[in-house]
Amino acid sequence: MSAPLRAWAGRRLLLGAAQVAAVPVLVFTLTEALPGDAAVALAGDDPGPARIAAIREALRLDRPAVERFADWLGDLAHGELGRSLAGGRPVAGLLADGLGPTVLLAALTLVLLVPIAVGLGMLAARREGGPLDRAISTLTLAVHAVPEFALGVLLTAVFALRLDWLPPTAVGGLGRQPAVLALPVLVLLARPVCSIARLVRAGLIEAMAAPYAVHALRCGVAPARVRWTHALPNALAPAAQQLARTADWLLGGVVVVEALFVIPGLGTVLLDAVATRDVPVVQALALLFGVVTVLLNLAADLVARRLAPRTEVAV
Amino acid sequence: MRAREAGGAGGTRRYLLGAALIAGPLLLALFGPLLAGEAGPRAVSFTPGGGHWLGTDFTGRDVWRQILLGGRPVVLVAVAATALGYAVALPLALAAALTGRAWLEEVLLRPVDVLIAVPTLLLVLLAATALSPGPVGLAVLVAVAAVPDIARVVHAAAVEAAARPVVEALRLHGESWSRIAFGQVARSIRRTLAADAGTRLVGALHLVATAAFLGLGVQPDAADWAVMVDRNRPGLLLQPWAVVVPALLIAGLATGTNLLLDAALHGGGRKGTRR
Repeated sequence: MSAPLRAWAGRRLLLGAAQVAAVPVLVFTLTEALPGDAAVALAGDDPGPARIAAIREALRLDRPAVERFADWLGDLAHGELGRSLAGGRPVAGLLADGLGPTVLLAALTLVLLVPIAVGLGMLAARREGGPLDRAISTLTLAVHAVPEFALGVLLTAVFALRLDWLPPTAVGGLGRQPAVLALPVLVLLARPVCSIARLVRAGLIEAMAAPYAVHALRCGVAPARVRWTHALPNALAPAAQQLARTADWLLGGVVVVEALFVIPGLGTVLLDAVATRDVPVVQALALLFGVVTVLLNLAADLVARRLAPRTEVAV
Repeated sequence: MRAREAGGAGGTRRYLLGAALIAGPLLLALFGPLLAGEAGPRAVSFTPGGGHWLGTDFTGRDVWRQILLGGRPVVLVAVAATALGYAVALPLALAAALTGRAWLEEVLLRPVDVLIAVPTLLLVLLAATALSPGPVGLAVLVAVAAVPDIARVVHAAAVEAAARPVVEALRLHGESWSRIAFGQVARSIRRTLAADAGTRLVGALHLVATAAFLGLGVQPDAADWAVMVDRNRPGLLLQPWAVVVPALLIAGLATGTNLLLDAALHGGGRKGTRR
């Protein structure tokens, strides 16, 4: 590692640490330290005095916010996530139940994402402006913008209800029939595949037109070799960065897809907790999602820098 | 390079495709509420036909009337959120780019760098836990979520524009800050601003519709295309139109906006290089 690269990596790690630290502050501020009486706000549709008192008791709202924040951080450091306001189950248990389906969905999506996106991008870049390129470019541009729930509902209407090829929801368990995963994973893949395929295509076309690639071709290096070993790594750097933004979409996508296909994962737990204003559960999940996103961003920036060291990754 | 990417005929075709996709949803969103008329008596839930062109929804209301009414909130909230995001982020980014003091630039932009990694939907979900945002609250939340991205793009473009001699000359001439910032720097990067605003609008549409689908910032029986998709899903087998039509309208709106934006960018880029 050269000195400037080391300095850059140091700054990036520092920023990552600041981002990780910002997540609990944000989570706490938005859920508990808002102006006004948090207990009344959280009681929501059922503002009886008994319920307000129960919330105040459970969240220890009679104490100053800074003190509660410090306590909360201390509990977190000991792995103590508290208990759900609705039902009193330990939050850790709720998270453990939801973790399996969500990790399965996310892992499947990520495993399929890179080969499909890079393959589509390379296919489009083979002949710039050709019919295949135009078709892939327009399709990726169009599908990219469609919200996951609209795409999911339309795919369900066609493939599950009209053609009866795939099950419409995952009721009955994810593990038992793999076919229930097809539509959720397809919906999760749609957006990131489109954006990454477009970046790979643009990067590859640019790299193949760059002087070093033209020179290598002129010297008689096999085109496939130039494409795969020289141009592709350069084309992948912006795509690796985009992969980090995928963590953002994946979270949104997981929440929507789990709601749409009735999958009992972390997204469903989060939505239920938001609907019932179950603060300890929302806090724990938001913290988990936020920190994972920040760390994925950090990793992707470091990978992008490694693939093409001269690209300016903003810090 | 970029001009070649547009590919002449392909660009025009993309324009037409985008315009065709967006025309229906946009016209419905703009003029639908004027045509909706009075609500008729409620009928049985999820029945196709029976005097209702697109059948009835989960509470027995006429689906066509809900469609006429339901586009405006989606479009309005998304446009308002984008405008609001710009109203906050543009002065912030210009101030950071134009200040000569490094510490002030740091103070203005570091929070943006820290916040940019937080998922946008998570922000909306968190805020919806303790607050019960209405349409205005939802617009504010979506705007807040967009501020870090806008500020970053504008700052990067403005730093370059602010280093030009003309800005130095204006400064020596004693022009006011706002004249320099908005009259010169913002004007010279307007193409970047327009492109970024388009991207943000597509993003805001996506987030607003997704939030409404998840029941955030809307009434459970609101006339809103995204809410219709969610609430009418149980009747998908009996009465698919109540779900499929609003879903198609949202998809058309988002896709059309994106295609038009892309065509306009590449078309504009071509003209720009020729000039």
